[in-house]
Amino acid sequence: MRIPCPYCGARDASEFAYLGDATLTRPDPAAPDADEAFHAYVYLRDNPAGAHSEWWYHSAGCRRWVKVARDTTSHAIAGAELAGGAR
Amino acid sequence: MTSALNTFPVTQMPADGRYGPAGTQGVSVRVFDPPALALLAARRGGASALTVAAHATLGLALADTPRLTRANGLATIGAGPGRWLVLAEAPEDLAARLAPLAAHAAITEQTDGYVGFELSGARTRDLLAKGVTVDLDPAAFPPGAAATTNVAHINVTFWREPGDERFGFLVARSYRVAFARFLIASGAEYGIAFAHRG
Repeated sequence: MRIPCPYCGARDASEFAYLGDATLTRPDPAAPDADEAFHAYVYLRDNPAGAHSEWWYHSAGCRRWVKVARDTTSHAIAGAELAGGAR
Repeated sequence: MTSALNTFPVTQMPADGRYGPAGTQGVSVRVFDPPALALLAARRGGASALTVAAHATLGLALADTPRLTRANGLATIGAGPGRWLVLAEAPEDLAARLAPLAAHAAITEQTDGYVGFELSGARTRDLLAKGVTVDLDPAAFPPGAAATTNVAHINVTFWREPGDERFGFLVARSYRVAFARFLIASGAEYGIAFAHRG
């Protein structure tokens, strides 16, 4: 599988490290229900078949996080953008 | 692994010389210490200010893309969004020369951190095809194009020089032996001349 890094171009997936679901937001650790929220955030992940938005870190290239829209059943990639935009 | 490499410990650079069948030389490798090298990393939100300042004070054209451009004895190589490696052609105090940019960028001295490899010869791309997953056809990777990628599990930053089949590589110093062994093992079938420059 080749991932279209917005900076480097299409690169082999082995250059990237996988983080997972890019639609989740890290819970507020100061919130009263932080324990429950973090349990859900860390462990209760969906495993969708089909369209998925996910984080990939281009550790061997530009060292930037990339948000990739990938179909988990076909590995077809619909798009990719840098996390945080341009510098 | 080429049998000639078995005579060298894996911790030492292979000896200068020719490797491969007699009478052939498809690739030439020159190992060099960068005269001066630094990393320029724009501060958050400061990439455009850095680009303007680099042009105004040093005459550098920082392209926010993986490319190598040269000006005033310095080569700048895009290493990531807002980040450039600056490679000097001659020994100099690069940190001092880049100091006017300190308001817009973090400047990190890297001279001793990397070793350079200059590859040339008609079979260079045949050698690189054994380790590089980037398309090196001149149409896709013309002179000045650069990439940071893994080659034989070794992270490298490399670019194409103008002219026929010439490439420059920067490799982290502690990986130089592994990279040299990859080059010799992969290039021996074409005949490879391996030497240190200067």
